[in-house]
Amino acid sequence: MSNNDILDMYIYETNTLLEQLESIVLDAEKENTFSQDNVNEIFRIMHTIKGSSAMMEFDTLARVSHRIEDMFFLIREGTMSVVKDEDRPALFDVMLHSVDYFREEMEKVEAEQPLNEDVDSFLGNINSLIAKIKGEEIPAEPAPPAAAPAPAAEAAPAAPVPAQTTEGSAEFPFGLRVFFDEGCGMENLRAFMLVTSVQGFCAEADFTYQPAGVESDSSLSEVVIEHGFLLQFRSEEDRARAVPIVMTAGSVHSYEEQNYVPAPPPAAEPAPAAAEAAPAAQKAAAAPAPQSGAAQQHPQGQGQKESLISVGLSKLDQLSAIVGEIVITEAMVTGSPDLKGLHLDAFSKSARQLRKLTDELQDVSMSLRMIPVSNTFQKMNRIVRDMCKKLNKQVKLTLVGENTEVDKTIVDSIGDPIMHMVRNSMDHGIEENVEDRIAAGKDPVGEILLSAQDTGSEVIIQISDDGAGVNDEAVLAKAIRNGIASPDVEYSHKEILNFLMAPGFSTNAQVTEFSGRGVGMDVVKSGVESLGGSVSITSEQGKGMTTIMRIPLTMAIMDGMEVSVGDSIFTIPINNIRSSIKLTEADILHDSVDGEMVKMLDGYYPVIRARDFYNLPGGAERIDDGILMWLESGDCSYCLFVDELLGEQQIVVKPLPAYVNNFDIKNYGITGCSILGDGNISIILDAGGLYAAARNA
Amino acid sequence: MSDKNVLFQVEDEELENAVQEDEGVDSRKYLIFTVDDLKIGIDAEQVVEIMNAYSATYLPMMPSYIQGVFNMRGQIIPIMDIRLRLGKPPAEEGILIVIDYNNNQLGIQVDSVDLMLDIPVESIVPIPSQSAQKLVSGMCTLPDGSGTMLVLDCEQLIAHGCGD
Repeated sequence: MSNNDILDMYIYETNTLLEQLESIVLDAEKENTFSQDNVNEIFRIMHTIKGSSAMMEFDTLARVSHRIEDMFFLIREGTMSVVKDEDRPALFDVMLHSVDYFREEMEKVEAEQPLNEDVDSFLGNINSLIAKIKGEEIPAEPAPPAAAPAPAAEAAPAAPVPAQTTEGSAEFPFGLRVFFDEGCGMENLRAFMLVTSVQGFCAEADFTYQPAGVESDSSLSEVVIEHGFLLQFRSEEDRARAVPIVMTAGSVHSYEEQNYVPAPPPAAEPAPAAAEAAPAAQKAAAAPAPQSGAAQQHPQGQGQKESLISVGLSKLDQLSAIVGEIVITEAMVTGSPDLKGLHLDAFSKSARQLRKLTDELQDVSMSLRMIPVSNTFQKMNRIVRDMCKKLNKQVKLTLVGENTEVDKTIVDSIGDPIMHMVRNSMDHGIEENVEDRIAAGKDPVGEILLSAQDTGSEVIIQISDDGAGVNDEAVLAKAIRNGIASPDVEYSHKEILNFLMAPGFSTNAQVTEFSGRGVGMDVVKSGVESLGGSVSITSEQGKGMTTIMRIPLTMAIMDGMEVSVGDSIFTIPINNIRSSIKLTEADILHDSVDGEMVKMLDGYYPVIRARDFYNLPGGAERIDDGILMWLESGDCSYCLFVDELLGEQQIVVKPLPAYVNNFDIKNYGITGCSILGDGNISIILDAGGLYAAARNA
Repeated sequence: MSDKNVLFQVEDEELENAVQEDEGVDSRKYLIFTVDDLKIGIDAEQVVEIMNAYSATYLPMMPSYIQGVFNMRGQIIPIMDIRLRLGKPPAEEGILIVIDYNNNQLGIQVDSVDLMLDIPVESIVPIPSQSAQKLVSGMCTLPDGSGTMLVLDCEQLIAHGCGD
């Protein structure tokens, strides 16, 4: 394990803790108090961050976390009542600031940039808060933090010493047992760092250590905490040289030298265990209740840890790629033309079984990549909170369906669009003045609703606010000013709303910290569209605005309808198809600019001929010889003229080759390819992109 | 996918054996193919496969020299007609060389594949600047005296897809 791996682990661990910390603080802020559990948790988190930062030699981080830990020590001792009501907002602010501070520093650590050395003003904030808390806290003399647990830690390992000397071997008789500070965290890595530094002067063959494998197995931390970390040397000099290293290493609580004494053979193995168990049991009986409680919880927690492993996303990608291949191959085998006309009972039975298993395999491999959206949603709490303070608005955020699971890549990429929308709602949606809301008969506290819903084929994310809604005239005027709209054209309400998503449109005249830079809605739109999804806005003036993002659930495998045009085969996502209609040439209406339309149900829809649009070499020319596919995507609805419907099939989406992407083919509504059961390739169409391209053509 | 893919393995091996005599000089292996009487060499390390039977799927909205894509064992690979790319008249049929340059895969349709040769690096000279062919990075005289080989610049070939 290299130093880099240790660093990665440190960053990962710290970021996880920060996320935990942030959600605790945000929840606590709503209650305006920290429960004792929360305080203990924060104390633990800060303690771990302090310990690991010190180990990684990020002194400023260790200093800041140390001060916060001190502060929470006071709160832990005296409960939340030591913090006066008027100081509480400051406390929450400081905590959230510190989360931001640590996050920033983590980013710098990751980018290998130097850390911010100037933390004095920040520390000053914390110190003044501590002083305020202490002001109330004079009578209750705080005990030194380590006083209570320390004796227990020392006493427990001290007892078994005589018996333990039988551990080890005659080959490495000179032992050095090291104990780390209680609660310093990552004991296994600390132990391994000792090994690395010992290796600096001592050949690997000349010493050994127990437990082995500390560099990779974090569960060994428990062993190291309990029994210490034992270095065994061949020669006494080496041990003598190791002592100063151990003394100077971070977080070492104590060490002891021990020499190997051969024990009577039968007792050699069980003896240490028994001897250790005995004093430990005594200790547990003697120790106060929480101590033994903690001891019992440990093995449990460990068990949970072992049932989860983290796997690189690339491995999962590889897995889904292979599963995709298997799905295709299965279709190739069972649908092989060689089988035509044969009645193979046993084969069909096995083939059915194979299909069932591949379906299951596909489901499982998909589910591996699914994670709940709750993390992304929770982050919005923080944004709403901060903006409430900055903009002086009162808004509550309601989350619905945060346990909806979606593909990891989707979760990663919807974060920004959602954030844009929430900011927009906060900034433009919710009324500036509470009076306006009261006058409109609304709750003075605004509401932003963020919901996720899984419909089976797509996930729908809805962001709605109960603010002022979109002012059509203002939007239109702005669109005309920005040259997006033409002043001579009458626009429908829907079209005006779509201007909001046009590039370079921002209704807010003022550029604020949060929005109004002219990017935002179009970023949302392109972000969602890159996931194969669509965005639509609805709004009623005075009642608020709702943005709905529809994102296909799994992008790797989807249901598609295959159609042919000449020799080419295209796949249209089933979600986009409204219906297919056979019409005759007489049903086609022509407009003044060579455009074609058909009338269906309630309206007129443009017709796009796939053959003409893509300049295909073959295909039906007369409407009578082909079929019209009525497609819908987002707000566009039109008919695509193709030759023939080939059938519905589940397909594995393959991205276009990188070389082909150079030609901007995506702008013509071609999103990918898929390999059909017979090995041929079909081209996957994007209904929305095709329509946009045809209109611009 | 067509299962008639014929690899020129046997031939290649024989050729390799034949040219491995003069070791010691800093040399590279080149696969030499013919396009409209031009001999063009391509760094053999970039060649993935040579196939003579494949079925291209037409891909719309691409330049004419891109014949389409084909399926090579589950991978979708574009096919370029090198004749059209070099501005020469198209040929009836040809052989496909699949190359992999920095994980960009591309099938190149050529007239015929000739042989694999070890060519000393120093014998490759830059092309005269006035006849700067975009897709050629150098040239050399073939050791057997059968003509001149142009060295195909795969980077240009793949990177300059959108240039025209």
